[in-house]
Amino acid sequence: MGLREYVIRRVFQLILTLWTLVTLLFILFRMVPGDPTSRFVMDYPSDAERQARIEELGLNEPLYIQYIEYMGQLLQGEFGDSAHYRQPVSEIIFPLFLNTIVLMFTALIIAYTVGILFGAAMGWFRGSRFERVGIIATLVARASPEFWIGIILVWIFVFQLGLFPRSGIGGYGGELTMNFVDRYINFDFLRHLILPALTGAIVYLATPALLMRNTMLEVLKADFVEIKQAEGLPERTVLYKHAARNSILPLVTVAAIATGAAMGGSVIIETVFNWPGVGREMVASVSRNDYPVAMAAFLLMGTSVIVMNFVADILYLYLDPRVKYE
Amino acid sequence: MTLLTIDGLQMYYRSDDGYVRAADDINLELESGQTLGLVGESGSGKTTIARSIIRLLPDNAEVIDGSIDFDGTEVTDLSDRELRKQIRWREVSMIPQNAMNGFDPVYTVGQQIVQAIRYHEKETSKREARDRARDLFDELGIEPDRIDDYPHQFSGGMAQRAMIALALCLEPRLILADEPTTALDVVIQDRILQTIKRMQAEIDSAMILITHDISVVSETADRIAVCYGGRIVEQADSATIIKNPRHPYTLGLRNAFPDIGDEDDDLISIPGTPPELVDPGEGCRFAPRCPFAEEECWEETPKPEEYGDGHIVRCHRADEADLLREQATEKATWDGMRDKVRQSISRGED
Repeated sequence: MGLREYVIRRVFQLILTLWTLVTLLFILFRMVPGDPTSRFVMDYPSDAERQARIEELGLNEPLYIQYIEYMGQLLQGEFGDSAHYRQPVSEIIFPLFLNTIVLMFTALIIAYTVGILFGAAMGWFRGSRFERVGIIATLVARASPEFWIGIILVWIFVFQLGLFPRSGIGGYGGELTMNFVDRYINFDFLRHLILPALTGAIVYLATPALLMRNTMLEVLKADFVEIKQAEGLPERTVLYKHAARNSILPLVTVAAIATGAAMGGSVIIETVFNWPGVGREMVASVSRNDYPVAMAAFLLMGTSVIVMNFVADILYLYLDPRVKYE
Repeated sequence: MTLLTIDGLQMYYRSDDGYVRAADDINLELESGQTLGLVGESGSGKTTIARSIIRLLPDNAEVIDGSIDFDGTEVTDLSDRELRKQIRWREVSMIPQNAMNGFDPVYTVGQQIVQAIRYHEKETSKREARDRARDLFDELGIEPDRIDDYPHQFSGGMAQRAMIALALCLEPRLILADEPTTALDVVIQDRILQTIKRMQAEIDSAMILITHDISVVSETADRIAVCYGGRIVEQADSATIIKNPRHPYTLGLRNAFPDIGDEDDDLISIPGTPPELVDPGEGCRFAPRCPFAEEECWEETPKPEEYGDGHIVRCHRADEADLLREQATEKATWDGMRDKVRQSISRGED
């Protein structure tokens, strides 16, 4: 099977996975007790008002009709209207999603860059004091909850040193209306970004660092490392061009999967730093029984994971020539 | 012309229990263009000896004493950088046991050959280096276009040929072939050996052929050195080692390989296991397994003695070689030893 067929087939699988995700989400949310009107149980709304609202939302229709309508909407890129905001979900969710992506990718890029270099060094200097301290430090970082690290960082950098703002993303509350450039390309945004990104980076650092160290130890045992040394190549060429280059392969998959984990972690980090992202909104919308928003939030996160896995598979083709298209 | 002289080399490995005497008092000479077979079982020190020449050893390896003279250069005195630039691959290259694992899987074979050439010959263009790799492939019987293939796309025998191309690309004066055919099936083994011999003759390079299979070296090597327990116990030209060996271990090794022509010939193995090399004490290291060992063998380390024309043997009873040779062909000689070994194990004296 050729490369092109492989990619086409993989795209097909991607679509199938997405469809499964959407269907599962739909079923799960219809199984949850309550609806957007059941939050105010005391006086308001009256039964009639409630009924009207349910009809307005289309919740009186049979489930399969709702499903077909929902799928139809999705195909047009619409997630329906939010019951809470009374606004199209897409208008609310995409700017938030973008905020989350900017935060999480910054965190992941820091975590993977530092983690890979650090892990490679730990593998190369096996048995040294540096390696031992490094492992303990990464394990401590990994075992710490995000909110705790966030609080510690806030305490040090905000309350003690006064270097960074406490929360938010800056921009005087207008974060949802400004265009992309105004919102992200400015010093104020960067100052707001540093602490939450650092929190994420510290938590996500351990996986690439430890994995890199482990694969380095495996790769360093391989015959070719010895042959490259016998060839007289300098140590840094053997370390980076050959050993580290081979060790990095498993990290590609893990990085993709980590993106999913990071999306989950974003819920907590966004809450600690009051970051207007999709994670925070997800929690809020679930507690409001605001299905359309919650479903859109889950869908976006799930889609990110699926798409990143797809990207990893395709990347792997280029990174490892041994991967067969099967 | 003498290319390589190893004189009194002691290469030990540091360990928690003390030094592991992997190579002890090694004396070897190699003429340029010649092939030396290093024979011995695993842990006999044959690989350590060969790798000492390019210092491709674990971090805990240490030269305690002795010298390695490669064409007038004292290798043990070279800095790491000098060693890399002057000796490794340019002068001494190597063919590993498993060629498939000898190539980095993520680069094409051609890229790796070109890298080796261009690192040592800065003036060679990429194009020239590629052409040289293609020529080598052609000579080794591989389609030249296959230099653009990745290692995993080669079969075992083909990968071994590609490895030979890598080993020869700088026309080194010495090739260390560490069990180059052990991983291959018998039919291909012979063909690869012939190819190595042919190419070696073409560029007039010397070779150290490391193997546990004495039949491999008997055809290929000019000289054979037999290693046991970190020492060279016997060395001579190949014909002498095969026909007139004097050391009991060599006699035993000869027995351990079948002669297909002779159906009646039972295989006779050497009883016991290789010696512990941490603090082995005085005496011949083969003594615990040797059917001819006498009191002297246990107490005093035999010195290398020459028995005519470069035939050097480390054995107290080498004078009685004719007698030993005769007895060694009898199964009973070794079986008696087997009982003794078993008894000493059960008594906890091992």
